[in-house]
Amino acid sequence: MDFEAVIGLEIHVELNCPTKLFCDCPNRPGDEPNLNTCPTCLWLPGAQPRLSQAALEKAALVCLALDAELQPLSAFDQKVYYYPDLPKGYQLSQAHQPLARGGGIELTAESGSPRMLRIHHIHMEEDVARLVHEMEGRRPISLVDFNRAGAPLVEIVTEPDFRSPREAMEFVKALRTRIRYAGASDCSLETGTLRVDANISVRPRGSAEMNTKVEIKNMNSIRHVGDAIAHEIERQVAAVQTGETVVLHTRLWDPEKKATVPMRAKFAGPCVPDPSVPAIELTADWRALMRARLPEMPAARAGRLATQHGLTADESQALSADPEIAGYFEALVGGDVAPRPAMHWLLTQLLPALKERRLELGASPVAPHRLAGLLRMLARDEINANAAREVLIEMFSTGDAPEVIVAARGYQQVSDPNALEALIDQALAANPAAVADVRNGQGKAMGFLIGQVMQASGGKANPKIIRDQLNRKIDAAG
Amino acid sequence: MDSIFLHSNPDPAPAGDGPLRGLKVALQPNLAAAGWPAGAGSRALAGYLAPEDATIVRRLRQAGAMLPGYTRMSEFGWGLQGSEAGRALREHAADAELVLDLAGESRVAAARAGACGFKPSYGLVSRFGLIGLMPSLEVCGVLAGTPAKIRGILQAVAGQDEHDFSMADEPVPDFAPPKTKARRPSLGIVTEALDLMSGEQAQAFRDLQGSLARSGFIVREVSCPDFPLFALVHRIIGSVEASSSTGRYDSVRYGPRAPGARNWNEMYLQSRGAAFGPLLKRLLFQGAFFQFERYEAYENACRIRARLLAAMQRLSAQADVLALPAGDGEPGGNPATPADIWAGFSPTLFANVTGQPALILPPAPDGARPAIQLAAARLQDARLLAAGEELLDAFQGDS
Ligand SMILES: [Zn+2]
Repeated sequence: MDFEAVIGLEIHVELNCPTKLFCDCPNRPGDEPNLNTCPTCLWLPGAQPRLSQAALEKAALVCLALDAELQPLSAFDQKVYYYPDLPKGYQLSQAHQPLARGGGIELTAESGSPRMLRIHHIHMEEDVARLVHEMEGRRPISLVDFNRAGAPLVEIVTEPDFRSPREAMEFVKALRTRIRYAGASDCSLETGTLRVDANISVRPRGSAEMNTKVEIKNMNSIRHVGDAIAHEIERQVAAVQTGETVVLHTRLWDPEKKATVPMRAKFAGPCVPDPSVPAIELTADWRALMRARLPEMPAARAGRLATQHGLTADESQALSADPEIAGYFEALVGGDVAPRPAMHWLLTQLLPALKERRLELGASPVAPHRLAGLLRMLARDEINANAAREVLIEMFSTGDAPEVIVAARGYQQVSDPNALEALIDQALAANPAAVADVRNGQGKAMGFLIGQVMQASGGKANPKIIRDQLNRKIDAAG
Repeated sequence: MDSIFLHSNPDPAPAGDGPLRGLKVALQPNLAAAGWPAGAGSRALAGYLAPEDATIVRRLRQAGAMLPGYTRMSEFGWGLQGSEAGRALREHAADAELVLDLAGESRVAAARAGACGFKPSYGLVSRFGLIGLMPSLEVCGVLAGTPAKIRGILQAVAGQDEHDFSMADEPVPDFAPPKTKARRPSLGIVTEALDLMSGEQAQAFRDLQGSLARSGFIVREVSCPDFPLFALVHRIIGSVEASSSTGRYDSVRYGPRAPGARNWNEMYLQSRGAAFGPLLKRLLFQGAFFQFERYEAYENACRIRARLLAAMQRLSAQADVLALPAGDGEPGGNPATPADIWAGFSPTLFANVTGQPALILPPAPDGARPAIQLAAARLQDARLLAAGEELLDAFQGDS
């Protein structure tokens, strides 16, 4: 029998607000354990939660970035579950009246046709504490770090619209890009500011039934999302084919073993409204204000870059996939660099160099105005491309301005035909066979001769001038 | 006889010099006072020291009140078994007491002590620093000899608090004493509340109604046929809220941690299991049943609550204040069951469900006149206290 998978995603995004969701403690989970705590986020008796306006605004931007509709009225509930990472016994979450409903992301299916993957709702909730298991001598001990307790989260719950691991991966990528554009989170699966859980069931292809689903957690990269879902689909299909019944439960993805393993379920029940947090009423004016504050989204930016700078759809999409990249590109163009060299140097030189050094673009030692300076020198033929690459590498290590490095290293390009003439004559005299090949129309031989002259110039010659001179001299001699 | 105060404040001198200067206000240990053992009458919080003052406590201190200490209370303030609310007043160790009102406790305790008991409108006083049990039903109540004293305390503690965002953004009633004597307020007797009384009690209330009419009050009968539903709604919503939210009193970071568990998860579960007393456990089991097995009953209770609220608002438009019997609270003696509490407090539960203010005036010292409960629409607290004064004046004139 032929099976298809039915997949829905539950995606948690940790908002990059300066403070927590219900108190003024710094939202820095990575600090020294239990440094960023107060009676409210320690959930001590008598404490009262106080909803952060900044968190509400960031959460609203996430909703708008995903085309979800902000609800005029939403409210917090107590989501009861007992686990030591939640000593309070309930998590404040929006179970009954979420912040936003609807929305989604349209992807291009493998067939090339557009495919809408819908969002059911988006709600806010507080994060729980972090458990640390250690050994004290031979005795195992469990420690609770409340730095993360009360950190602001949004949870995006999709419709079960996904049919393949690829769709889930593409959706998560597109969602991550949009939320980064909204400036609401860095959305890192690796560090846990983005957490993806998948609900998966299988059914005979063409059937409309919804079978028992299994939840998969602990996928720490986009690739894990794809691998884990693919594995779980295979596991369920094999189970169904051998007549096993799939039971509702949760499994953890183990990327080492490339397999999912069942985990102990947390007890959880229906939620009760929490009267200590007032209902959130969003006026039409406020919602309009948030829409106005939403930055340009990736698709709009790609369209604009394509028309403004004459780029192809693929090029402009590649640049727009990350707001930092698009911003850097626009800064280069704003610094009088032509769009194509700006794109080329950004994508093929700067980003790989950063990746090699494990740096983010935001932390690049080479600022856009410095790279623009280098590319302007290249455009003015003051240096050649080889020299520019050398200078870029040096800019990484020294942080110096390109003009300083070019002057100090004598990278100025030699473009004066007279200064090059002696070197060209030497190369022609020393390589008669190559000259003959050029006459016979072999392009490779021309490249060889240019290389000889370039080498003799110490890499500073302008290759265009060399080519012109060589052609002129070979034609004249023939 | 043991001491009145479970915890005596070694330094009761006021921090501020304000309108409450010299007034002694006793607290219960579910209202945080910095450094005091705020155990809320529960084993789960044994040894828990409040990290900071509740907003109410801070405002009392600023207004010049003296805080002699914490008195004994029932577990989380639910019902009056084990509570000594009212004793400090009776024994002249305090001029006023603050007692949480979940079902009518502050009002009934006052009547038992021969004092006035007032439950303010929900949302009028801050909940910051209150170690609560039923968040949408409970309000900090005030016990004092006269409505004037209660008014003074409310003037000091009521109103917006930057630590409690659940308080609605609405004007605080003006608690200043009325300058001119208004005409006698009209009283609306809630007929169905009398049906909850024994024949003898109902007759005593009818006699009182007659004497009020003779004193010049306009007395009319008003009707809320759904009045018996208040107990049902309170039972479901109160128990579910308690069950859902008491998990926060984990008895691990404070209170007695269960010994002998094999792992941390088991330790948490066992500590929670051992933390609460038998009455509270029965309440929590009821709540868990409604939350996890009969959630639709909880949803229905919320809908009925909205309907009851509208019904009581309509009644409030028919008279200046509503008048009802006061009730006795749960019977003493045997350990009370949750059902005993809902039955004993049946005439007072309505104000917790609707959030409206209610005031009980004590019975005559010789028992010749029963206690009477007055109620008004939400935020009509000042008018209600003024009406209470009028009634007390009239009673004085009678005697
Ligand atoms: Zn905090």
